[in-house]
Amino acid sequence: MSLSVLKRIASGDTGAVRECLDQYGALVWSMARRWSRTSADAEDATQEIFLDIWRSAARFDAAQGSDKMFIATIARRRLIDRLRKTTAEPPMDPEEVLESVVWAETSNASELAVEAEQAARALAELKPDQRQVLELGLLHGLSQSEIAARLKMPLGSVKSSMRRGLIKIREYMHIDADGVRVGS
Amino acid sequence: MADEGPQQATADDDLLDLLVKQVTERLSAGEQRALDALDGPAASAYRRDFERAAAAMALAGSAAAAPLPAALRERLAQQAQTFIDAAGGPVRTDNRVVELASRRSESRARTGGFSGWWAAAACLLLAISAWFRTSPAPPAHVAAIPTPAAARLALLSHTDAIKVPLGATKDPAAGGVRGDVVWDSAAQRGYIRFVGLPHNDPAAHQYQIWIFDGERDQRYPVDGGVFNSPSASGEVIVPIHASVPVRVAKAFAITLEKPGGVVVSTRDHVVALAQVG
Repeated sequence: MSLSVLKRIASGDTGAVRECLDQYGALVWSMARRWSRTSADAEDATQEIFLDIWRSAARFDAAQGSDKMFIATIARRRLIDRLRKTTAEPPMDPEEVLESVVWAETSNASELAVEAEQAARALAELKPDQRQVLELGLLHGLSQSEIAARLKMPLGSVKSSMRRGLIKIREYMHIDADGVRVGS
Repeated sequence: MADEGPQQATADDDLLDLLVKQVTERLSAGEQRALDALDGPAASAYRRDFERAAAAMALAGSAAAAPLPAALRERLAQQAQTFIDAAGGPVRTDNRVVELASRRSESRARTGGFSGWWAAAACLLLAISAWFRTSPAPPAHVAAIPTPAAARLALLSHTDAIKVPLGATKDPAAGGVRGDVVWDSAAQRGYIRFVGLPHNDPAAHQYQIWIFDGERDQRYPVDGGVFNSPSASGEVIVPIHASVPVRVAKAFAITLEKPGGVVVSTRDHVVALAQVG
């Protein structure tokens, strides 16, 4: 089994950097564009995310998930951080977004991380309002209050939709319950 | 769990709602205290799982993503190389962006008049409320990166750093300037990045940076140094050199002044402004 590209970066393999950019650049760029108001902001975000990736590569543990998941997690954390930091500058309006969301085809599982395929399957089973709430919150970076205002939904409904949606994905990812009763 | 009553179900939903919000948008201080009161091993497991579920959804929603722009990809590769070199070897230089600041102004906090435009900006500033962010612990290691672009990027990743958009005023000298300002109050360092600022003849005029400090009289902005705008188009990054400590940066402005800058600006040409908050 070949060594993870992240582990190779951590060991100082500079060739692995370009490999990492080739493999995951589009993923990070896609996420950054959706969460950013302008292309310049998206470029900044992308640079910050990859800086975080270089710094965190040594912490990657394949037993905890795929490298794709590791990178997506780092990207999300950084994007949330940036968004809340510039709270007066909301993300790009979903209707104006440069790149519309293209959901993974579950039949194309070989091209996807297993976890992404599971998430796509779970999403396909969600009610439309739950799916919309998750899209706005997780893919476009809107806060729950912003989602409630945009969809003209009570904040409580947004919260429950997001909770139930994440629980559904969690179930599809075969995550064991650990004693907290699922509230859906 | 059949033995759980309605009260328990509500408590669980509250806990899960807090965990979801923590994973998706960060918690307020009050929400964090509420979560701390409910937290435990099971909550930790849910937090981890929700984070994974959110990341998986990000992956699923990024199918058919557009590739990285070639220029950005190259910049990322160079930054990575610089980072790796800095961590374990000599730091490589990268001069893709030219540092333009040419003079440390001798002036300190400025005094002077209060033109209409400047007054309008100051009025806006009064309405700005401080913003405090919560964030995860900063990265353990920050490499010493020499170029303005890389230094700006490194500064941007600091916990205390802010970034605000920079826009042109209605002054005819403003051209089509736009960009942003990154400022770290803890480090007392910052950068202005812009495109579209008209080229200046240094023998006739220079641009000057001003910082509005929320804890100072707003009529007396802090001098941030002078710089020139090159004739070539493209992105320019200029470091901000605050002449005195800035406690709470509320806004940044660029004026066009005589060569070397001024102690008291007439504010005849305020060409760009960036407001915090």
